Amino acid sequence: MTGQPCLLPAGGPGSRRFLALHLPCLATDRIRRAEPDLPTDQPLATWAASGSRRVLVAVDQAAAAIGLRPGQALADAEAIAPDLVLRPADPDGDAQALQALALWARRYTPLAATDPPDGLLLDITGCAHLLGGEADLLRDALARLQRAGIATRGAVAGAAATSAALARARLDNPVVVSGIEAAVAAPLPLGPALRLPPAMLADLARLGLRRVRDLLDQPRAPLVRRFGPELMDRLDAVTGQRRTAIRPATAPPDLTVARDLLEPIITRASIDAVLDRLLAALCARLRQTGLGARRIVLSAWRVDGVVQEVAIGTGQPTRAPAHLRRLFAERLEQLEPGLGFERMMLEARATEPMAAGTQTGLEIGGRHDAAAMAEALAQLLDRLAQRLRVHRVAPVASHWPERAVAALDPHAPVPAMPAGWATPGLPVLLRRQPEPLEAMALLSDDPPSLLRWCGMAHRLHWAEGPLRLEPEWWRARPDLRRRDYYRVELASGVRLWVCRTGPPEAARWLLHGHLP
Amino acid sequence: MSSAAPDAPLDQAAILATLRARVARLEGTGRAPQEARPIPVCDDLPLPGGGLARAAVHEVLAMAPGCGAAFCALLLARTGGTVLWIAGRRDELLAWPPGLARCGLVPANLILVRAERWPDALWAMEEALRCPAVTGAVLALTWEPNPEGDNRLDLTATRRLQLAAEAGGALGLLLRPDTAHPAPTAAVTRWRIGPLPTAQAGAGLDEPRWQLELLRVRGGTPGGPWAVTWRAAEGRLDLEREETASAARASRGASA
Repeated sequence: MTGQPCLLPAGGPGSRRFLALHLPCLATDRIRRAEPDLPTDQPLATWAASGSRRVLVAVDQAAAAIGLRPGQALADAEAIAPDLVLRPADPDGDAQALQALALWARRYTPLAATDPPDGLLLDITGCAHLLGGEADLLRDALARLQRAGIATRGAVAGAAATSAALARARLDNPVVVSGIEAAVAAPLPLGPALRLPPAMLADLARLGLRRVRDLLDQPRAPLVRRFGPELMDRLDAVTGQRRTAIRPATAPPDLTVARDLLEPIITRASIDAVLDRLLAALCARLRQTGLGARRIVLSAWRVDGVVQEVAIGTGQPTRAPAHLRRLFAERLEQLEPGLGFERMMLEARATEPMAAGTQTGLEIGGRHDAAAMAEALAQLLDRLAQRLRVHRVAPVASHWPERAVAALDPHAPVPAMPAGWATPGLPVLLRRQPEPLEAMALLSDDPPSLLRWCGMAHRLHWAEGPLRLEPEWWRARPDLRRRDYYRVELASGVRLWVCRTGPPEAARWLLHGHLP
Repeated sequence: MSSAAPDAPLDQAAILATLRARVARLEGTGRAPQEARPIPVCDDLPLPGGGLARAAVHEVLAMAPGCGAAFCALLLARTGGTVLWIAGRRDELLAWPPGLARCGLVPANLILVRAERWPDALWAMEEALRCPAVTGAVLALTWEPNPEGDNRLDLTATRRLQLAAEAGGALGLLLRPDTAHPAPTAAVTRWRIGPLPTAQAGAGLDEPRWQLELLRVRGGTPGGPWAVTWRAAEGRLDLEREETASAARASRGASA
């Protein structure tokens, strides 16, 4: 991949902007999304077994309002709220949902990351103006998640940890300018801001340290001695003293074009039309930058907050819209529009430099030139490889029949044939599994005189051999045995490649190939 | 003929050539005369145009797997360019490049394609024939008994392949086992090939003999069976003159 993602500040440390989204009830919101007929006013919680106890893991807002909280015993919770709806906790499912939301958040920026267990971090540097500013972007994201049934709070700040702390500790979804991280973080309570373990939080509270400000006023060395360096690391991150990098959910693409749709689209015809425009735009930008795409991903955002992806790959860098269009045509069937797509984005995830001269379509006097031919073949192989297994053949210098040929990428150059590779008397068709035969030979070392094949006995006219092949001991499985190959001709003229293998006292005959 | 000016001296040969080209274009048995030099099969066979037309689909009924595959390989090798060998994914018989290389089909020109389902194989064949960078493609049908009734090579399917071949200019071969009643297809020629006993002829098994029969040909007369010898070292198919009559008699006697 060219254009490595730049996670470090580009123009000075204060120049990056981060949007943090906090999803306090992700686990229960997810259940409500999956089961839309649950009454919304009924409290909902998830539980898991912790040792011999069964405790609540996550509660929704209705449950929190009547005093339920995570960590409570299940029996107590049911006593407090007899109508409580309970579901088993699914941490893996929650993590997957968070990952899916990070992909969804790529509609705002290519640098979208998960912030487990219940948050997202978006590097929105330079992206906010597309939606009219940071406040508008934040409002848009909150509104969309709200519509999708996911309770969210957010904050924008100049450091990732600061924005995450603000999103968790403040209810007003603030947007703060860069450079005053320490000032805005100071009044925040320690628990949500630093996300400390409950035991450490209790210890700090016993010392009277309840807010970030209290920690900032203390000398650092005794705190480190007592609570470990972890506490100071978190504190420095939240106050903007220490930069933290975010790890995007997917590597940022080399080139992106996107299109927002006023009306959600459902039909194949409209999806095709949007894809055509996106491809034209992407190929124009590829041409400007002198690149050709090797891997392109089409992402489609559904109105209910689900992102679907369709990926294609090409063997040679390309920027021909018609060719890419045909590759996508096979795959668009996988999209499930549901209630419709509201945004589609095309990303070139892998690109390679492409000389300006490798253009197609130059036909002079009805003759295709060599470059156009090579490109036509590459495009054909791309199309075939979307649906079928396509490979070239690499000759391998090995006398063992199963090893004489290796599969090769269809776009790769074919090595030269080693000496002795295509000797006379080899079959043109080889059986995938050698077929056991019944054969009769006069003496144990003689060629067979009678073969039983396809339920019929065949008298042999002629047999040539043996060609004795020993397994490649430096590579082969130890149970392989030497084979004596014979070329035989039946009375009907059919020519076969048979071999005898196994220990001398229990030799077996196998049909391994068909001769011309 | 009426289009020729009546008072001009009649150049019969030229007029005939023009008309032949026109008929060929109408029938779709060949295009772009410079590029579509026919593929020579065997010097002495009486074929219209002197060989197999490029930009057309031909059918090969094989009485044994080996001889059919070898015959297709040597025809494809004579197209002189990139060749696709399309077969079923789960076929028991695999095209084996070392043996195909003896027929002239070297690995540098060979691309193997395995299709999971029969419609995919047909689609791949059509795409390959339509591509100008491919000079030949073979669709090898399975030898296993096929209870699902797959492998439908009917008139419609082969007509599509024929149109694709005309568009791309490639030689298309349909290699199928010789069944009792093969369905009619839109292929330009239909061949039947079977093995003939070779060993007694003296050369051992290095120069296999085949029985070649032209069952159907558009714009020509069917012929055969001919006994031919494949001389791999020289890359040549030789017609055995003295054998022709006796082989034909023997086959007629067998069919009667």
